[in-house]
Amino acid sequence: MDALLNAPAGRGGLFDYQPGESFLHHMNPVSKLALTGSFVTVALLSPSYRVPSVLFALVIASCLLAGILGRVARLLGGLALPIAASLLFFHGLFNPRNETRLFVVDGLPVVGRIVVWEEGIRFALTILTPLLVLMVAILATVMTTHPKKLAVAMVEKGLSPRLAYVFMAALQFIPEMRDQAEAILDAQQARGLDVRANIRRRFRAFVDLLTPLLIGMLITTETRSLALESRGFTRRNPRTFLFEVPDRPVDRALRWFAGLFVVAAVAWRVVAWL
Amino acid sequence: MALIDVSDVTFTYRVQPDEETALDGVSLEVTEGSFVGVTGPSDAGKSTLGRLLASYVPNYFEGALEGSVTVGDHDVTETSIAEMSDTVGLLFENPFDQLTGASSTVFEEVAFGLENKGVGREELIETTAEKLRLTGIEHLYDRNPQQLSGGQSQRVALASMLAMEPEVLVFDEPTSQLDPHGTEEVMRVVASLADEGYTVVVVSHDLDRLGHHLDRLVVMNEGSIVADGRPQELFRDADGDDPYELPDAATVGKRLRALGKVPGDEPLPLTLEDVVGEVAPHVADAGDESPGASIESDGGLQAAGDDAAVQFDETHFRYEEDVHALRGLTLDLASGCVCVIGQNGAGKSTFMKHLNGLLTPSDGDVAINGKDTDVHRIAELAGEAALSFQNPNNQLFHSTIEAEVRYGPTNLGYSEERVDELTEAAIDRMNLEEIREKNPYDVGLARRKHVAVASVLAMDTPVVALDEPTGSQDAVGIRVLGDVVERLVEEGKLVVVITHDVAFARDHADRVVALRQGELLLDGPPREVFGRRDALAETDVDPPFVTRLAARLGLPGTVLTVDELFEHVS
Repeated sequence: MDALLNAPAGRGGLFDYQPGESFLHHMNPVSKLALTGSFVTVALLSPSYRVPSVLFALVIASCLLAGILGRVARLLGGLALPIAASLLFFHGLFNPRNETRLFVVDGLPVVGRIVVWEEGIRFALTILTPLLVLMVAILATVMTTHPKKLAVAMVEKGLSPRLAYVFMAALQFIPEMRDQAEAILDAQQARGLDVRANIRRRFRAFVDLLTPLLIGMLITTETRSLALESRGFTRRNPRTFLFEVPDRPVDRALRWFAGLFVVAAVAWRVVAWL
Repeated sequence: MALIDVSDVTFTYRVQPDEETALDGVSLEVTEGSFVGVTGPSDAGKSTLGRLLASYVPNYFEGALEGSVTVGDHDVTETSIAEMSDTVGLLFENPFDQLTGASSTVFEEVAFGLENKGVGREELIETTAEKLRLTGIEHLYDRNPQQLSGGQSQRVALASMLAMEPEVLVFDEPTSQLDPHGTEEVMRVVASLADEGYTVVVVSHDLDRLGHHLDRLVVMNEGSIVADGRPQELFRDADGDDPYELPDAATVGKRLRALGKVPGDEPLPLTLEDVVGEVAPHVADAGDESPGASIESDGGLQAAGDDAAVQFDETHFRYEEDVHALRGLTLDLASGCVCVIGQNGAGKSTFMKHLNGLLTPSDGDVAINGKDTDVHRIAELAGEAALSFQNPNNQLFHSTIEAEVRYGPTNLGYSEERVDELTEAAIDRMNLEEIREKNPYDVGLARRKHVAVASVLAMDTPVVALDEPTGSQDAVGIRVLGDVVERLVEEGKLVVVITHDVAFARDHADRVVALRQGELLLDGPPREVFGRRDALAETDVDPPFVTRLAARLGLPGTVLTVDELFEHVS
């Protein structure tokens, strides 16, 4: 039974839920969302890179403990590395406010030497670190939260089961749509539709593909709503859940902390501004 | 008292523009625990009857309903679908649309209904596990429901329905979209549920597989019940003009009775075992079972040479890195009807998509009428080979059937007159004249598939490829398709038919190509290929019923038709 309730979900992609037993996995999903929200808000409110850097270190450490650092690093490598490299390069070398030399690289071919400036690097880090906090915190939440448990936790906090269903269905919707769009593209091309012709014909091709996709969605929606109805989805009695999502005192404390953290950050910014 | 009581019901769908009645004066009583089959041609009202029992009609599909329907204590007009789900479960044909689309595992999917019912957690887990066992899918419990085969998916939908603990199970063509393997899996479970004490109503064309399980068969035509009784009695009285296809076993049994070999009052055989028992004493050269005893070597069909319409040369195809879908396929197809058979995953669809460059080989070459698919664009190749896929909903989108049929030839840039001419011919061939002004989505799935085929015929290409054209079709629909294929062949075209329907391949193929895991397993005339029962088993294909029967009787050579079988009956 434990194996079942911790079974991997989704389509085996890089973003999918990774089962595990860490504190992050056991944290109430709503608390996790609250913490993620507060970290990101505070990081974005911060005027320098110092606070975001500390937060970044914290979320990276959490990923390490949750056993997902490898995956997170791989994704960051693809997403964040190019942004980080270009920000640091351009501002480090060419920011107009550059005054203080940080270090000099000598003996380079062609350009001879380059000077890296402190102001530019600081500016780049101020932009970069909140972005990193945002990416890593969201990835950590997605990878350590079983989507169904998130839905259950939200319903227990008062979310309507219908909205929870929509949330769950949306996760599966994209791959379904993609498969269907591919099938339609094949079928229309087999009937001579030219998707590589001039702009006018391409636009028509787009219409020819979109219409069956919409019709298909309507048919699916119709049969699916019947399926839901016949599984008692519209009943008004109290529901039970396959997954138990505990809400421990520590989870509640974390939510309080998340709220206070944001309030404190806002207060600090307001005081600093005054 | 009857558990199901349908009394003088007439029903017309509100959306049906021309006031056709779907049910016309239908009365039916079903007692608890019985296993009832409902058969008849497409659009006979079978699905409407099923929907009525589950109260989908009139709750979801609205319309004018006369007469009364009760199931257990519930009057369907006064019971919502959600309330009715405790009493009646309805499983329909598309296995994928019946899932919630919101579960990450099979276990969650099946538990969904129980969560909505508010069942305690212990009981919830126990009941879910029990229904998984009952449908034989407990090993799939942690799989993603979106990634299952059709047969597995259909059983997940069935387990989910059983979890609601209904007394009556209604199946509407539960296997029409499945391959033979999936069909077998689902039929076995359906039959076992009748033994578990459920009251079962199955709407199906497949009397070969279903017939011997049934207590009772109801035949519908044009919205009315035209026959109702024990299957054997109905088959005995069938005169060849019936709105359903007699199972092969019964056909052989009737002929034995007509010849006086078996007393006329003996119940008709419905299974292979039974019919073997009846025929065996009258077969002169019955001996040991010797499958494929006298098979001539490969025919001259392969030697099509350089002018072949379709040439596969050492073709390999890989999906991403790990799925090797075609493995060095070398094949020339010139003309005639070529049926491609093999289990799911054998590479049939991948093969078909190579015919117009939708897929191009990872290694090796494919040429269509001499055009290398690596070099020519799909839009050019579409003028050489037209493909019709399994699901018509993926291609149809015009507001009338006629406009739909015009789409292909117009894309190919033919003159207005030629488009008119080809459209007329295709509409005529597929028998769509009466409904040409209708929206394709206002006709049933079977006719809609015919529209998709017509839209491809109208392109007038030298090569025509059809993917599972006979799925969801009744006997008449299959005959129409067969005639079309024959006509195309007479015109000198190459027709490639991907199919699980071995009877269709036997009746219409000049050549049968069996694929197994992306490789060529067998290639030859139907008689030769269907004689290789052991080889076919490697790709999960059974030869036609009569062929299997003759093999069981130990008849020499390969028997393909009932007439051939009776040449051996003394």
